[in-house]
Amino acid sequence: MKIRHWHYEPVSDFGRPLTERLRQCPREPGMLVYALRLVANLLLRLSLRTVFRFRVHGRERLAKPGSCILVCNHTSHLDTLCLVAAIPVSRIHRTYPAAASDYFFSDFARTAFSSILINALPFDRHHGGAESLDRCASVLGRPNTSLIVFPEGTRTTDGEVARFRSGVARLAQSTGLPVVPCHVTGGFECWPKGRCLPRPGRLELRVGEAMHFDETTDVATICRELRDAVITLKERQ
Amino acid sequence: MNISSALTSPVFQAFSAAAGALVIVAGAVLGTLKLFGKRVGHAIESYKGWLIMIPLVLLTMLLGRGAVIVAVTLLAAFGFREFARATGLYRDWFYTGTVLAGIVALGCATLVMDPRLGAPGWYGLYMAMPVFVIAAILLGPVLRNESDGQLQRMSLAIFAFVYFGWMFMHLGFLANSMHAYAYLLFLLLAVEANDIAAYTAGRLFGTRPLRRAISPKKTVEGSLGALAVSLAMPWLCWPVFPHFTPTQLVLIGTIIGVGGQLGDLVVSTIKRDIGIKDMGTTIRGHGGVLDRIDSLIFVAPLFFHTVRWFHGL
Repeated sequence: MKIRHWHYEPVSDFGRPLTERLRQCPREPGMLVYALRLVANLLLRLSLRTVFRFRVHGRERLAKPGSCILVCNHTSHLDTLCLVAAIPVSRIHRTYPAAASDYFFSDFARTAFSSILINALPFDRHHGGAESLDRCASVLGRPNTSLIVFPEGTRTTDGEVARFRSGVARLAQSTGLPVVPCHVTGGFECWPKGRCLPRPGRLELRVGEAMHFDETTDVATICRELRDAVITLKERQ
Repeated sequence: MNISSALTSPVFQAFSAAAGALVIVAGAVLGTLKLFGKRVGHAIESYKGWLIMIPLVLLTMLLGRGAVIVAVTLLAAFGFREFARATGLYRDWFYTGTVLAGIVALGCATLVMDPRLGAPGWYGLYMAMPVFVIAAILLGPVLRNESDGQLQRMSLAIFAFVYFGWMFMHLGFLANSMHAYAYLLFLLLAVEANDIAAYTAGRLFGTRPLRRAISPKKTVEGSLGALAVSLAMPWLCWPVFPHFTPTQLVLIGTIIGVGGQLGDLVVSTIKRDIGIKDMGTTIRGHGGVLDRIDSLIFVAPLFFHTVRWFHGL
């Protein structure tokens, strides 16, 4: 009798140290991590609603099936939290906020917080941008995945929307996925850059209609159109 | 088992002192070898791992029965997690979840009082647990209406639950014994002494490989050395369980000497078949949890039932 050989497929991050495993993206599913992230997300939703009177306009646009890129202005750390709290709970494990690896993955505590609770994707904004964009593209290749990007590259210091960097445009071009413009209001007032802790206030997230770009549209145009779309959302208030 | 009984227990004190002395002696030996220019890098890494593990074990024992049972349950859960990650079973939430729930149930059965006998630990439920968990695992394909690849997943889940969960967690049930300190501390010390003796004797005299296809570094001489040390250990520790007869001491020594080696080979077989070197990176200088507890998994249930057969719990 011949018994067919079993095929083992160890997890892709097998044998790597914990910090390295947390930095990997997409990560291997872990029940403990999923449970912690779910609890953290529910607590986040509750605290944003009570402390920051958080409101979302156009929430249904975040629930559409299929992968997409969410593009948002960057006023404070609260922006990411707002977006993560606005997406449907069923998608929190497939939503990856692109986070600066030099800040959010600089030590073990920040890495654990960013990867376990927020599901952040480490993005190298100084060098190795191409590698980070490849990582984003590979994540977006999975079904029903959302990538949260702040194309300004850093938080605003004056409350205005700065010039968009080209990475997001190249990603939209190469993947052909819809790009959803979003705008957070109130983040700058609640937690401006340089301030240690946030103060209570009012936060509002506006979600725009998805935009489609193809390979023929040039990078500069995509950046301009996306920035205009985000600014339009701001002015619509 | 509780803090005050630990502090007044001569057995706990004796083993703590012995562990402290061993740590100091081993540190001195390693330091001297290093001074003389010997290559002891790996041994020092392993020693640093022990420096964390020994105080953790003693602290858990000090905290009492509940802490020991919780610790054993956590070790079983993390050990299973390593196995599931290595085989790929980890991606299947149904089987992983069922085995983890089974491990938690075993922990609860160990922790609660027996409703009929009033003794700590529900022995009947613990021993019957594989029936229920295996039944739950076998439900997987039926619930999903799927057969492709299910036999492998069910087999891996059942094996993992029975071996890493049920068999290993007999160690936690020993915490319910009247002689908990003596049994637990002796078992840990003897199994580790067996491991270290196998390694040392193998390095010093080893020439003939024991099981080349499974673990090329293990030698017949190493195994015999380990068996000799394991046979001597119960006699050395006789004062902590004076109710054992000499025949029983020999039996316990044989169980640890042979079982310890077999447990090591079982985990080596698993690793070799999967094609990996270590089960994880959790413990510095030791690899994963399963690499450290491999011998205990095999020995704990054999020791438990032998002791229970002769003397009750």
